[in-house]
Amino acid sequence: MALSPMDSPRSVPGPAKTLAAKTKALAVQNAASSPLSSGASTPTEGTMDLAEQMNDQTRKQFVTGARLGEGTYAIVYAGHYRHDPTRLVAIKKIKVNADYKDGVAMDAIREIKYLQELSHPNIIKLHAVFSTKDQNLSLVLEHLPLGDLEQLWKNKDVRYGGADIKAWACMLARAVWFCHKNFVLHRDIKGNNLLIAADGNVKLADFGLARSFADPFRPMTYNVITRFYRPPELLYGARYYGGAVDVWSMGVVFAELALREFFLPSETDIQQLSVICDVFGTPTEETWPGVSKLEFYTPPSNPSSRPQPLQFWRARFGILGDDGIELLRAMLTMDPKRRLTAQQVLEHRYWTNAPRPTEKEDLPKNGGGAKVMGEDLKRRGGEIESGRADKVARKLFG
Amino acid sequence: MRYTEDEVYRASSQFRLWSFTAEQLAAQRAETNKAAVERVKAAVHRQRAQRQKESVTGSESERNGSGVDNQAVNGVQKEVEYLTVAEEQKIVNHLAETLIKLGEHFRFPVEVVATGIQFLKRFYLYNSPMTYEPQLISRSSIFLANKTENHHLTAEKYAAGFPKTTAEQILAPEYLIIQALRFTFDVRHPFRGLKGGHMEMMAMAQGQGIAPEAHGRTAAEMQAEMLYLPVRVGGAQNRMTPEELASRITTAYTKASSILKHAAILTDAYFLYTPSQIWLSAHLIADEPLTAFYLSTKFPSPPTSSPQYNKLLTTLTFCKKLLLSHHSLSPSNSSASSEDEMKAKEAEQAAGIGALIKKLRHCRDPDKIDLVKLNKAVKRDAVQDGQLEEQKAKRRKMEREGFKKEADSFWGPELPKKE
Repeated sequence: MALSPMDSPRSVPGPAKTLAAKTKALAVQNAASSPLSSGASTPTEGTMDLAEQMNDQTRKQFVTGARLGEGTYAIVYAGHYRHDPTRLVAIKKIKVNADYKDGVAMDAIREIKYLQELSHPNIIKLHAVFSTKDQNLSLVLEHLPLGDLEQLWKNKDVRYGGADIKAWACMLARAVWFCHKNFVLHRDIKGNNLLIAADGNVKLADFGLARSFADPFRPMTYNVITRFYRPPELLYGARYYGGAVDVWSMGVVFAELALREFFLPSETDIQQLSVICDVFGTPTEETWPGVSKLEFYTPPSNPSSRPQPLQFWRARFGILGDDGIELLRAMLTMDPKRRLTAQQVLEHRYWTNAPRPTEKEDLPKNGGGAKVMGEDLKRRGGEIESGRADKVARKLFG
Repeated sequence: MRYTEDEVYRASSQFRLWSFTAEQLAAQRAETNKAAVERVKAAVHRQRAQRQKESVTGSESERNGSGVDNQAVNGVQKEVEYLTVAEEQKIVNHLAETLIKLGEHFRFPVEVVATGIQFLKRFYLYNSPMTYEPQLISRSSIFLANKTENHHLTAEKYAAGFPKTTAEQILAPEYLIIQALRFTFDVRHPFRGLKGGHMEMMAMAQGQGIAPEAHGRTAAEMQAEMLYLPVRVGGAQNRMTPEELASRITTAYTKASSILKHAAILTDAYFLYTPSQIWLSAHLIADEPLTAFYLSTKFPSPPTSSPQYNKLLTTLTFCKKLLLSHHSLSPSNSSASSEDEMKAKEAEQAAGIGALIKKLRHCRDPDKIDLVKLNKAVKRDAVQDGQLEEQKAKRRKMEREGFKKEADSFWGPELPKKE
C-alpha cells in the first residue's frame, strides 16, 4: 500500500516519508526486495541519532505505573526502576501548553535547569529526564509518599510539639541555604511545596519559578511567590532583590507550623500588604530606608499600623520558645536588608538550644500517601490547592 | 561543614556531563562523525532503491515507458563525499561566530550569546551538521538560550528578525536540541569570576586587600608590592602611581573581558577547563605580571614551593595556549597588518566556509532536511499511537457521566453511602 504510485515518495517528496510508521514499512519492503538495503542496520536503530538513543536508554530504565494526579501543567504517575521494582519514583509528565506560543514551557525549563544542578538531602531529587515520542518531557522525581508540611499542620489527627517544628524548620532552612549557596532563588516556598519522604526528611520541591541571582542592576519580576508567602518588598514592586525573598516565605511557613493555621491569609495583593502591616507596622523611611522609592509604595494613612508587641508573639507562638520567636521575627523583618540571610538563619542559637530537634525517623507522620504527592507535583508554581483565581499572575520571564 | 566552590562546581551538570579531556572530546567527535556518515549512507541507499523500485513499478504500469529514465537515475549515482571531523568543526565554529554578530544585532545580553554558543557546540558533540542543518540549529539554540537565561523574547518577534523565517521554524528543532543537551540547561560562565577578581585587585591596589592569614602578607604590603609590578614578566621594576595602577588593572580587565566574549566561547575552552581557569588564563594574556601577583597572594610565600600553585600554573598555561590559538587573538590580527590584508584574509576564510557548505549540501541526511515537517510528523504519530485513545476515553467518560446525571435527575441521586 505504501508503495502504490499515488502514495509514492516521489509525489510527496522528502521528509514526509519520515512518518515513523511509513519509514518502517518502507524499510521492511526494502529489506525484503532490495539487496541494497542490507547495508542498513535495523530500521528503528538506523533512524535514531545518538541523542535519541541516549534518551531511549534513559526512558527504558523506568516503568510508568498508575496515574496519581493531573493538573493544568503536568500529569504525575507512579513509577519504578525497571531493574529494581522496589526503587520507587514519581514521573511528572509536562503537558504541552497550546496557549504558549514559544515552545517548551518556561516552568519546565526552569524546573529541569535547577534540579539538574542541586543535589541535597532536603531538595527533591531529579533521577532523570526523558522525552517521549509525543515530545512531552518527563521528569523522574524522587518518590515522596508522606504528604507535605501544609497537610501536616492541617491534619488534626497528627499531634506534634516544639521539637518536631524545629526539626522540620531546620530541614527547610538547610534547603534554602543550599539553594542560595548555589545562587538559586526558589521564589515559591510554601507548605505544600515541602514534601515529606518515607524516612521523614523534608524536601523542597517545585522549582518552576526559580531563577539564578541576577547581576547587579538587572531587573527581575516582582510577580512571584504565592501571595500568602510573598514578602512586602515584592508587593511594593521591588525589581532588585536577593535571597531575602525566600527567607520571608520560610518565616511564614515556620509560623504556620507553630500556629497550625495560615499566618497571613488574604484575598488580594493589596489586602496582603495590609495584613502584613497589621502585624509588622506600616513601613516608613525610618523603619525601612528606601521603601518610599518602591513603585507601589504609598505613605501610611492616618492612623498607621504599629508593630505588634512581644506579647502578641508570645501568645501565639509560645510553642517556639523565646529564641524561636526571636528567630521568627528576624526572618520576618520588613526591611529585606535587615532580614536574616539563609546563612544567618542556620547560625541562630534556636537550633542548638533545648529542646533538641526530633530525629527525623521519630517525627509524627501524615497518612498522605502517593495520591497527595501526585497532587503536589502536578501543580504549577504559584497555584494554591483550590486552583481558583488566586494564582499568581505568572510572568513567563524575569 | 564547609561547602567549597569546588564542591559546587563538581556537582554541576557542566562538570558532570560536559567536561572532557582533549582526547575524550576528539574521540566523541570522531564517533559522532562516523555514525552520521553511516546514517546518511544508509538513507541515500534507501532512497535510491526506492526510486529504482518506483521507476520499475512505473514502467510496468505504463508499458510504453522506456527504460532510459531508469538508467538515468542509476547514472546519477555517484559516491557521496562526506565531511570530516575537522570540516564539521569549521562549520560549527563559523556559525558560532555568526551567533556573536546575531547577538549584537538583537542586543542580547552576553550570557545569552555565550550560552547559545555552548548549546550549539554541545549539540554538535553528539550530532553532525550532515544530519541537522547547522544554521537552523544555531538560531534555535540561541532562542532557547534566551529562555534559559531569563531574557524575554517571543519566537514570533525573533523569527521576524530573519528573512523568510517563521516562529515554527525556530521552534521545530527545540526538542532535538534539548535532547542533545541531555536535558541540562545550566552553563557556567567565567564572566562573574572575572568581575570578582577585578574588584579584588582594585581593593588590593587601594590597600584593602585580604590575603589568607597563613600567608603573612598585610594589605599594605600587598599594595606596596603591586605598585612596583614590572610591565613584562622578568622586566624591570616600575614604580606606578596609584592612579596608574588602577588604570592598568582596568585595562587588563577590559582586555580579559573581550577575550572571554570571543576566544573563550568560540574555542573548546568550556569543554576542557573550569570557569575560574578560563578567566584567569584570559587575565594572564591581558597582563601576566599582574595576574601572577594576584595568584601569588592565594598561596603561602614563595608560591613556587606549593605543588598546587605549580599545577594550577601548568593548567592555566595550557588554557592560555588554547585561547591564543583562536584567530581573534592571532598576532597577525592585532599587529599593524594593513586593512587590505585583513580583508583578503576574511575573504579567504569566507570562501573556505562557502566551499564547505557546498560540500555539506551533497552529503546531508535526506531524512532530516525539513525539521518543521519532521516535528509535526512526530507529534502526529504520537497522537495516532496513544493520545487519541486517551481523548476517546475521556469523551466516553464524559458521556457516561452525562447519562448518569440524566438518570439521576429522573430517578433521584443515589442514596449516600453509610460511613
